[in-house]
Amino acid sequence: MRVSLRLIKKYVELPKDLTDQQIAADLTLRTVEVENVENTALKYHDIVVGKILEIKKHPNADRLKICITDIGTDNPVQIVCGGTNLYENELVVVSKPGAYVVWHGEGEPVKVKETKMRGEASYGMICAASEVYLNDFFPALEETEIVDLKGINCNPGDNIADVIDMNDTVLEIDNKSLSNRPDLWGHYGIARELSAIYNVPLKELPNYDIDKDLPKYNVEIKEPDKCNRYVGVEIDGIYEKESPIWMKALLSKTGQRPINAIVDITNYVMMVVGQPLHAFDRTHVNGEKIIVRNAFENEELLLLDNNKIQLTKDDLVICDENDAMALAGIRGGKKDSILPNTTGIVLEVANFTASTIRKTGKRFAEKTESSIRYEKGIDTQRVDQGLNLALQLIKEIFPDSKIIKYSDTYKHETKQNKIKVSEEFLNKRLGKVISRDKINQILTSLGYKLSYNNGEYDIVVPSWRSTGDVVIKDDVMGDIARILSFDSFDAKPISIKIEHAIKQNDVLLDRKIREYLSYRCGFYEIYTYPWIDEKYIKIAKIDMDLSLKLATPPAPELAYLRSSLIPGMLEAICKNLRYYDEFKLFEVKQVYKKGDYRPSSTDEILPIQENYLTGCIVGKNAQNIFFEAKGVLENMARYCHMENIKLEQLQKPNWADVNAYLNVTINNKIIGSLGLLSYQVMNESKIKRTNVAMFEINMDKLIPYNSRTNKYEKLPELPLVEKDLSVLVDENIKWINIEESIKSLVKEIEFVDEYKGNQIPEGKKSITLKIRMINEGTTMTSEQINKKMNSILKVLEKKCGAILREE
Amino acid sequence: MKEKLEDIKIKGLKKIENIKNISELEDVRKELTGKKSELSQVLKSMSSLSNEDKKSIGMFTTEIKNLFIDKLHGKEEEIISSMSVLDGPIDLTLPGHKVNEGALHPITQMKYDLNDAFLSLGFDLYSEDDISSEKYAFDNLNFAKDHPARESMDTYWIEGTEAKSGAERLCLRPHLTGGSVRYLMRHGAPARFVYPGGAYRNETTDARHERAFVQYEALIVDKDISFSSGMVMIQTILEKVFGRKINTRMREGFFPFTEPGYEIDMECLVCGGKGCKVCNHNGWIEVMPGGVIHPNVLKSAGLNPEEWTGFYINIGLDRLVMMRYGVDDVRLFHSADLRFLKQFK
Repeated sequence: MRVSLRLIKKYVELPKDLTDQQIAADLTLRTVEVENVENTALKYHDIVVGKILEIKKHPNADRLKICITDIGTDNPVQIVCGGTNLYENELVVVSKPGAYVVWHGEGEPVKVKETKMRGEASYGMICAASEVYLNDFFPALEETEIVDLKGINCNPGDNIADVIDMNDTVLEIDNKSLSNRPDLWGHYGIARELSAIYNVPLKELPNYDIDKDLPKYNVEIKEPDKCNRYVGVEIDGIYEKESPIWMKALLSKTGQRPINAIVDITNYVMMVVGQPLHAFDRTHVNGEKIIVRNAFENEELLLLDNNKIQLTKDDLVICDENDAMALAGIRGGKKDSILPNTTGIVLEVANFTASTIRKTGKRFAEKTESSIRYEKGIDTQRVDQGLNLALQLIKEIFPDSKIIKYSDTYKHETKQNKIKVSEEFLNKRLGKVISRDKINQILTSLGYKLSYNNGEYDIVVPSWRSTGDVVIKDDVMGDIARILSFDSFDAKPISIKIEHAIKQNDVLLDRKIREYLSYRCGFYEIYTYPWIDEKYIKIAKIDMDLSLKLATPPAPELAYLRSSLIPGMLEAICKNLRYYDEFKLFEVKQVYKKGDYRPSSTDEILPIQENYLTGCIVGKNAQNIFFEAKGVLENMARYCHMENIKLEQLQKPNWADVNAYLNVTINNKIIGSLGLLSYQVMNESKIKRTNVAMFEINMDKLIPYNSRTNKYEKLPELPLVEKDLSVLVDENIKWINIEESIKSLVKEIEFVDEYKGNQIPEGKKSITLKIRMINEGTTMTSEQINKKMNSILKVLEKKCGAILREE
Repeated sequence: MKEKLEDIKIKGLKKIENIKNISELEDVRKELTGKKSELSQVLKSMSSLSNEDKKSIGMFTTEIKNLFIDKLHGKEEEIISSMSVLDGPIDLTLPGHKVNEGALHPITQMKYDLNDAFLSLGFDLYSEDDISSEKYAFDNLNFAKDHPARESMDTYWIEGTEAKSGAERLCLRPHLTGGSVRYLMRHGAPARFVYPGGAYRNETTDARHERAFVQYEALIVDKDISFSSGMVMIQTILEKVFGRKINTRMREGFFPFTEPGYEIDMECLVCGGKGCKVCNHNGWIEVMPGGVIHPNVLKSAGLNPEEWTGFYINIGLDRLVMMRYGVDDVRLFHSADLRFLKQFK
């Protein structure tokens, strides 16, 4: 909303030394967010009134004239102009060198310079309305027409901003910050806040006495729950004319387009008090009766542009005896327009229920200045303010007009809320004692009525805050706190009571795993969206039966929510392969599957939601990256302090290679898997010339240790004997067979290397292992060592068919 | 004889002087002090001399030998101390070997910084699930029945539930605040806890707007605390994150689940509060909404608002991380783009 400080100052006398910036800052801290402070005179600098003293022919151009013009300086200036409506003694608008104008009303503003036009000097320009932001004030009939200021009280040299009342400051207020304050959708509401902030009196709005004995205007409200009040006034002597400059200026500053005097009056009143009004040409109201009713199913409303809109029976319409004339509180139809032959109007000042307007407005996806205000919830008493101000303005602008009929159909009055607030409550919650006088001043200037008895305030909330805004004592406390300014309260330290040590093992484990992966294993953590491109779900062959979908997804292909982190990771891999050919990524996020999960209350059945971890290693050598990923998982328990996980081949994940996959198990239950991305998945996702090892684990199944658990082992008193051993075995022999067969014979056994190649016979492989041995009590002699090695070899030969490899 | 010894001494010292490496040193040592050295020869040939001469020549020979030993020792020290473990020349300008790369997401890093700060203030860490219901995301939090945030233009409803209401209408949570009631229902009051996480809103995205964003919310519920206590907490947190005191201001704000609500702005770190593009030329950046917990929210959590009160703060982590590093496009956070992520080690 745009707020004119000039108009504000009509209703509240602000302290003299206050800058506009300070007003904006104070409003921002205490009431609403001011996003911008705009000087509306700025764009009119160096644009002044000129008087054409003499018009001469241009020697070199038929269409141009030389105008000797008085612009308030000692000597008149010569300006070349092509306007078609030039005459001597005409008052015109002159842009002096230095002013910014919009050439022919199009494009960015351009700086005016002293120049020559077809050989004749020209000191600036005589301007058309569209060139100098005056369309709202002097609409041109033809493109070549310059602004004629005939009839306007002004003198050569006057700045045009002063002439058209645009010398003002406009505060641009963020509409979002106004959404819960229906009282602030007009200048008077903002003025009231300022009167409370600066403790200065608020001036009263004008009163207009209507003759109560006038004949009644016939109004019938068929839906009293949707229309709380309807005042209809028939006024004679209204015709189409322009509104005065000051009114156009206010509308222009607040972003409204001036149309004609009567429409402008209704808009002006809405800008001042926040009450929408509507004027119908009285001859358009068939039967001289207004009916407020629900539309019929499929009834149509004819709009000004001859388009029709389809209505439903939920929509509230303003009708005459035959047809709908307007969509209540939202917009008028063709029948409400004021035309050149208008001689009188029916003025509507009404109150509609917020939810009605919101519902219909939503269906037409249309917000108007009127609907924005109604849907916030306006008090019914505001009708009086709007009506009085409108009638006063009509009398002023149409002095010969006459009210001939009037009626006020008042179905429901906004009840003022009554709240009791104890002094103790205020002191405690505010954290300091505010004097009764100060509380009285703040609340009274905001429109509250209050009395104090025995430590308790009886508070009556003003009607304009009683439509849902102020309901409980906390709301009143909030009003006091914000007007004093939140910053005026000393920050009070919070005391800490140490009751128990905060230690949440599951939270800690999550962090340990992420830090392990990123800082120890060299993975980068990624974030992806919960909605997944369907393409990657299909490529990864993730079962979609249990997946959830969004009702209104960001894009049609993004409807599915993740039931696995694999597809999102796959997409991330594809994206990054454009720039890197080796990398490691991981992600920890929730995945969702249809199911029955009730975390908080039995009535709420949520889908199963579990925290998953996925990771990938991208690299050329498939076997290397597989075993690197395997190592990452094997060491996770030791480094992250959780119960050990096992890796065994049980069940192939759909995305994994036919051979290279393992399942992650804990207590014999599968909780995840590890594998190379299958040939088919890589093919379909166009991953070429590289390989991908991936893993995915259900993190919720991991069991954190309460503390670090491993026991200290005494350092051996005797040296360990370490021996490397290379054996040839059949290529089908697995490491685990070798390990199991000799485990009991040695202290430690360690895999060093597996080799197939040149010196190794077909169908065989060479395994190198490291063995550590120790004797109880004494150092091993070389004889003992040889004996031990021989027995190890014998066992290996017997169980695994191993032969010692000759070096 | 004496002249001969003088000659041996001078030549010997010269040899020692010219030694270049350890193997030469060993050769010279043998030559000058070994059994077959000239000095040994001299001692052997001394039998023909008088006792007196024997004595003086003997002493002189020993003197020279000791001198040689001494000098050789010095030379050995000199050579060893200048010896390199390398065989040849080395190019010291070659880059060092890479350390293990990898990093947490910059938002995770910020989250952990905040976790550490809040844990030191005695807060619990809590997290609600991503998918919630209208009851917990809106009803419990005092959102009006026809609040626009409940519409599908704003909230991502789950297909098949969008036409239902309350506990049966499911959504990707549009904010974290619903989790506060879940926690209070389970643990009661007094309570102080933080609950970071992702939130999702149906929005048009651009450099400043995202559909998925990460928030960090904290709530204290206790007796007899005033809303201004929130200010201390906020200042502590910002100081922790940015490593110095950050100017803040608290201004009017409105949220259904607070009364009163406030917005907390911090000075713009890009321009130092002077005004720039990032802060829309007013020197302040909106970082945290907050406010006193609304009595109706306490009631939904089964707490008596006459007895308990408390306050929220909610930190937009995306915005804070953008401030910390000067990131100019919020969409990068969910891009999974390593060119971006590699910058935050």
